[in-house]
Amino acid sequence: MNYTKILNFALNQPKVIYSFVLLLTLASLVMMPNLTIDTDPENMLSSDNAARLFHNQTKQDFNMHDMIVVGAISKKSIFTPDNLAALKTLSDQITNIDGVISKDVLSLSEVDNITQEVSGGIRFEYLMKQAPQTQAASSALQLAIKRLPMLDNTLVSGDGKAIAIYVPLTKKELSYTVAELIRSYTNELTIDLDFHITGLPIAEDQFGYEMFVQMGVAAPLAGLAIFILLWYFFRNFALILAPMIVAMATVIIIMGTLIGMGFTVHIMSSMIAIFLMPIAVVDSVHILSEFAEKYKPGANAKEVVKKVMKHLYTPMLFTSITSAVGFYSLLLTPIPPVKIFGAFIGSGILLAFILTVVFLPVYLSRLSDKNLNKLQLAIARMEQKGRLSSSLEKIGVFASTKTKFILIAAIAIFALSALGVSKIVINDNPINWFKADHEIRVADKALNAHFAGTYDIWLVFKETDNSHISATKEFLINFQGLKSKGLEAKALETYLASKENQEQLFSQELLILLDDLTFSADPSFEQELAELYKLAETSHNQNKLFIQPDMLNWLAQLQLAINNTDFVGKTNGLVDIVKTVNRELHSGEAKDFSIPTSPEGVAQTLLQYQSSHRPDDLWHFVSKDYQQSLLWLQMTSGDNQHTTKVVNWVKNYIDEHPAPVALDIDWAGKSYLNIVWQDAMVNGMLSSLMSSFVIVFLIMVVLFRSFKYGILAMLPLTFTITMIYGLIGWVGKAYDMPIAVLSALTLGLSIDFAIHFLQRARELEKETGSLKTALTAMFQEPSRAISRNAIVIAVGFTPLLLSPLVPYITVGFFLASIMALSALVTLVLLPSLMMTLSGEKLEAN
Amino acid sequence: MKNLFWGLSILLLASPSLFAETLTDVNQIIQKSNLASYYAGDDGRTQARMIIVDSQGNKQMRQFTILRKDKADLGDQEMLVFFSRPSDVNGTVFRVTKKVNSDDDRWLYLPALDLVKRISAGDKRTSFVGAHFFYEDVSGRNPAEDNFTLISSDNGLYTIKAIPKDLTTVEFSWYKAEIDTKTFIPMKVTYFNEKDEAIRQMQVLDTQVIDGYTTVMHSKIIDLTNDSFTEMQFRGVQYNLGIEDNIFSERSLRTPPKQWLR
Repeated sequence: MNYTKILNFALNQPKVIYSFVLLLTLASLVMMPNLTIDTDPENMLSSDNAARLFHNQTKQDFNMHDMIVVGAISKKSIFTPDNLAALKTLSDQITNIDGVISKDVLSLSEVDNITQEVSGGIRFEYLMKQAPQTQAASSALQLAIKRLPMLDNTLVSGDGKAIAIYVPLTKKELSYTVAELIRSYTNELTIDLDFHITGLPIAEDQFGYEMFVQMGVAAPLAGLAIFILLWYFFRNFALILAPMIVAMATVIIIMGTLIGMGFTVHIMSSMIAIFLMPIAVVDSVHILSEFAEKYKPGANAKEVVKKVMKHLYTPMLFTSITSAVGFYSLLLTPIPPVKIFGAFIGSGILLAFILTVVFLPVYLSRLSDKNLNKLQLAIARMEQKGRLSSSLEKIGVFASTKTKFILIAAIAIFALSALGVSKIVINDNPINWFKADHEIRVADKALNAHFAGTYDIWLVFKETDNSHISATKEFLINFQGLKSKGLEAKALETYLASKENQEQLFSQELLILLDDLTFSADPSFEQELAELYKLAETSHNQNKLFIQPDMLNWLAQLQLAINNTDFVGKTNGLVDIVKTVNRELHSGEAKDFSIPTSPEGVAQTLLQYQSSHRPDDLWHFVSKDYQQSLLWLQMTSGDNQHTTKVVNWVKNYIDEHPAPVALDIDWAGKSYLNIVWQDAMVNGMLSSLMSSFVIVFLIMVVLFRSFKYGILAMLPLTFTITMIYGLIGWVGKAYDMPIAVLSALTLGLSIDFAIHFLQRARELEKETGSLKTALTAMFQEPSRAISRNAIVIAVGFTPLLLSPLVPYITVGFFLASIMALSALVTLVLLPSLMMTLSGEKLEAN
Repeated sequence: MKNLFWGLSILLLASPSLFAETLTDVNQIIQKSNLASYYAGDDGRTQARMIIVDSQGNKQMRQFTILRKDKADLGDQEMLVFFSRPSDVNGTVFRVTKKVNSDDDRWLYLPALDLVKRISAGDKRTSFVGAHFFYEDVSGRNPAEDNFTLISSDNGLYTIKAIPKDLTTVEFSWYKAEIDTKTFIPMKVTYFNEKDEAIRQMQVLDTQVIDGYTTVMHSKIIDLTNDSFTEMQFRGVQYNLGIEDNIFSERSLRTPPKQWLR
């Protein structure tokens, strides 16, 4: 094996090894300042994901922005002059914040009102340019909003106790800064109102901010926890420095490489340090223990190290490879941050292995005699019978005698767990990444109790086929005819050339060019150009699907049906605008709250709507060519389950009530993207779990050169994972992102115990010639080593429990329990199984 | 030719020193500018085309014909706006009686709804049919609403700072007008917010002398916050046509005066 050569070289050239590790670490440290945090769940989907592309196209087409929602809640009616004056002040301050798209801010003092004049005229004006001075005027304002379906229950709550301000941002990355600024403004307001800020962008951005804090706190804490634990084991600073160096170097090099390669630190990769630290230490603990056992005072440390390494190299290699495989299997998921997480931890484990087998022997061989003796004392102390030892012995007796009971209990628990797994509910919601008492969670709850909902999804409609093949042909033939008669039309030709497949030939652009042409061309072409214009215009008008009354009436029915469900608070669409303006153009009474009967009627109604302070509000709901329309659905919950329900309901409705013209119907909005990547995550995790299961199994068969031992090795972790996920199913904890990620990687980690157990048990069986004797011996030093390692890893993850962010707590809690449980299962289940299997063999003999 | 002579003589009479020296009285400059921009001739007709371009380059077109008649220079005016394109708003008409000393009277006719409606607005800074031009940009902002300061007069331009007397009726804090010293046409007007950031700008891209009046033929208003804009082009500009007073009546809403719209 080449390792012996490498080891000999390392032992002879310690300074080369030291400086190599140092240089690598320093080079990686240099990369650290380039760290960029990324908390955008959108990045859970690759940049070319169809749903993501459509979402961003929709945002662009309809000028939709990421919005945070500021809400003010009063105990009584919020419509008092004082409250409204405070909200006017706040709204003005908000529109002045850099990064806020002031034109699109939705607040009482920014939007328009349409009313009837006593004289029968129609009046357009700001709804609340100035805060009203009197209670009467305040109440009148409340009544005015009730008449505006676009604002009612969106800007003002149905119970009249809450008012919201929707704050669109140029970049969602500004959410936290903007929210902090708004918080400082609301704190200055001396008014008896509760202010809350919510919305997915702020949840995501605030998460990023707290994640940064969390990384800075939890990673060092994990290091400290491991340090204390090692101190407890070895009581010698010089000794425990070695595994700490290995752990720190691994973390720094891996994070430095990740940052240096230009990857952003996402919620997943922020956990890399915490994952790597305990894993990196485990092999060192093995080496230190064995070394201390074999080293006798006066012996040559170098020679002892060589012996130890020869003995430990293969099992350590295999446990490292299996752990790495568990993480590398995450590369099979379609989710970029999860891939990066898997790839870098997998590599980190291999790096930790290399550092351990090269650096640690060198370090040990150069320890002073004094420190070496201390090591021995510490180990001797650890080998003494303590609570751990005696309980392990008891477990050993139990496991190898009560085999039937254990196996029946295991099968029962497994069956129960499998049932639990089938009960697992797949759900996630970025708001739930915060603890229940976090201000974001509180705001979310408070605002969604009052308003139609702060979670948005957008339903986008587009005509399936809007090509005009015959008209296109006719147009092109006529145009060629005019050209052959000497018509000069450079601009138009350039336009036609740009429309390669001539699918969307008839556009406003074409009409403008034709209009230009009627002025620039020779007057002799006037008549023919007018005809050409007419042809283009007719086709263009036919494409204006969303001014067609039958289409709008269908949309109105759809909105009504959605509004009548109990899972969508409210819908906002083109229909609401058309009906409101139409009503005010006519009598102002409810009977005129309808769609005009002709497309021209709709177009003229919309022309009026655009004669307001905010003409561009129209373009959130219909594209400028009137070929696409957007329906904004407000939901009171951001649960993926909830969104899925809405999406399915709408699909069923449209299947049963098809639109008058065949439509392409698609979804966008943050809440929708969340369910898209959740689906990808669940399926991806399943395939990565399956594949890492198969690969690890194959590695086991190779390692033990036995099919039977391969299966035995897989049993404890199969049992553990099923049990943990069964528990999740029974308890009703949602299967969310952190839970999903755990499955594949615990497989790689918990197999270690089985490897060590089976390897040692087989060796001992060979030595003693009896499985029973071997198993009794197993519950001395070997089982203590396994338990110690389980404790190191489990304790290493516990600082995550202190995190203010729920996903970290989940990961910490489950990893720690999986480690503890799988060690226990290994120690109990494997002896029983081995006894049962060999018992048959003895009888046969 | 008579009108040309008239126009020139008015200008010469009003400012005998026009070509000799620059003016220093800011209100005099504003008055001349208002006159040049909105009161050319006794009446006038023009075809207009607006192209509204959003920040992504999507275009919309509006075409209309404007008829105007002045009751007195710098005084009240009658105005009719007949929409022809897009064809689904063809026949839509606005009628305005601009009043210097009180709120304008405005009417609207929507042919598809067969509806004549009187419009009143809280302010004049609402969009003109979805364009970046405001109603006030089309009809003219009343000089009485602002306080003016002459900042400079060089490079052939008077640069004037205007601060609205009532800030609650406008969406800006102040504006800067750059007025041509010879024609008194404002060539560029920039609007600023309270942080003194330029948010909106009107630019004149082309002028022509028609019937002796320097006339804006092509202008543009840009929303500087998102780079969207509207271009307005004029064609077939004519002055002093002798349009009868009775044309500017409710009857013309439902029955457009065809002879003046050709």
